[in-house]
Amino acid sequence: MSKIINWSRRTSPWIIHFNAGGCNGCDIELVAVLTPRFDVERFGILLKGTPRHADVLMVTGPANLQIRDRVRRIYDQMPNPKFVVAIGACAISGGIFRGCYNTLGGMDEIMPVTAYIPGCPPRPDAIIQGVAALIEKLRKGD
Amino acid sequence: MSVLWGILQALIFPGFLFLSVYALFAEWMDRKLFAPMQNRIGPPLIQPLADTIKLFSKETIIPKAVQAGLFTLLPYFSFAAVVTAFLFVPVYGVPAISSFPGDLVIVAYLLTIPTLVLSLAGWSSDSTYSILGGIRALTQLFAYEVPFFLALFTPALLLGTWNISEIAARLPGFLLANPFYFIPVLISFLVGIVALQGKLERKPFDIPDAETEIVAGPFTEYSGRLLAIFRLSIDMEMVCGASLLAALFLGGPQPFISWMPGIISYLLKTLAIIFILAYIKAAVGRIRIDQMIRFGWQILAPLSLVGILMVVLFQKGGLI
Repeated sequence: MSKIINWSRRTSPWIIHFNAGGCNGCDIELVAVLTPRFDVERFGILLKGTPRHADVLMVTGPANLQIRDRVRRIYDQMPNPKFVVAIGACAISGGIFRGCYNTLGGMDEIMPVTAYIPGCPPRPDAIIQGVAALIEKLRKGD
Repeated sequence: MSVLWGILQALIFPGFLFLSVYALFAEWMDRKLFAPMQNRIGPPLIQPLADTIKLFSKETIIPKAVQAGLFTLLPYFSFAAVVTAFLFVPVYGVPAISSFPGDLVIVAYLLTIPTLVLSLAGWSSDSTYSILGGIRALTQLFAYEVPFFLALFTPALLLGTWNISEIAARLPGFLLANPFYFIPVLISFLVGIVALQGKLERKPFDIPDAETEIVAGPFTEYSGRLLAIFRLSIDMEMVCGASLLAALFLGGPQPFISWMPGIISYLLKTLAIIFILAYIKAAVGRIRIDQMIRFGWQILAPLSLVGILMVVLFQKGGLI
């Protein structure tokens, strides 16, 4: 039974996209992943508008004081089991904003992050690979 | 023995289990047909099953502000209504599992319940997006429901019976004997398909759950098991609506009345209707709610009335 559930989680990761204050570069690449050229619906990945439906929070941009409570709230609204993927240099470590008076650093300062996708911005291929890495992690996890 | 047979039929073959499997297949079919029209490949066959299992295994959040009882019961209510409606639709032969004079009215009303449930779900969710979605679902109901009913009643009026199985059995022969009646039946069929698209809230009538405007409409606060049941009931509604149209206008399992060929004929007809629905979904964009109401009352309703009027005039004119 747990094998079937684990399989279904790997096969149908629904994502929600949140920009925590980056420059929109990563967001454009993430949206490109969803276009017909890359067609991630092949892997069952769908973009959902509400955190209640989503399994994976795809977050771009640095963790800063302004966004801390908001992104934490979105994370809390997602039903378990949930995962966070940090996309781009800002979400990993704060990137170019690191050391600013209002920047806390990467997204892992706010919530647990399962996978990191480096790049400024990462290519759509890299984002797909990151999601594949997340799926691989899920496969081993159970 | 016959009681046991009836229960088996209701639960397994043309009933619940078959409907669930076929609904998942229909959802895949819909997504897979939709994908190449956007130059994509589309999801694998097993995808809807994986989505459903995943949603069932996820946490179900019931927000603090909602009425927990109503919020939890509503998806089951919609599910039960659709499954019950399917019992009256002929699948492998006529008559259907359950059939009595006047079951067309019951099915038409049962298929209205998911929309009413959606609007109630929107209201009970206590979220701005959900309430807006609920209001839109209810507003849209007035635009497509009347044309849909009128379209369904055209073949009933034509044959003088309100029994779905009897219409499915008699309509093809009747049309071949009286080819004039092809015109009103065709008009009603087209109106029925467009109204069904509105009933299922698919493009261009996906105004209640327009994800670019109001997130996910009435579903916004639903998660886990409850969302899975909602999704399943909407897939089932698609199958049930397609089967109803196939039974009323295309003769259901006709021209075969035995098991296997009847099922194949039924599957081909419903898949053809689902193909038309997917094609409409791919070809058009979303319209506004006022455009939807105008379309419903200025084009769909008069067209369905024309269908009924033609039937009445032909019958009075002695063309029968």
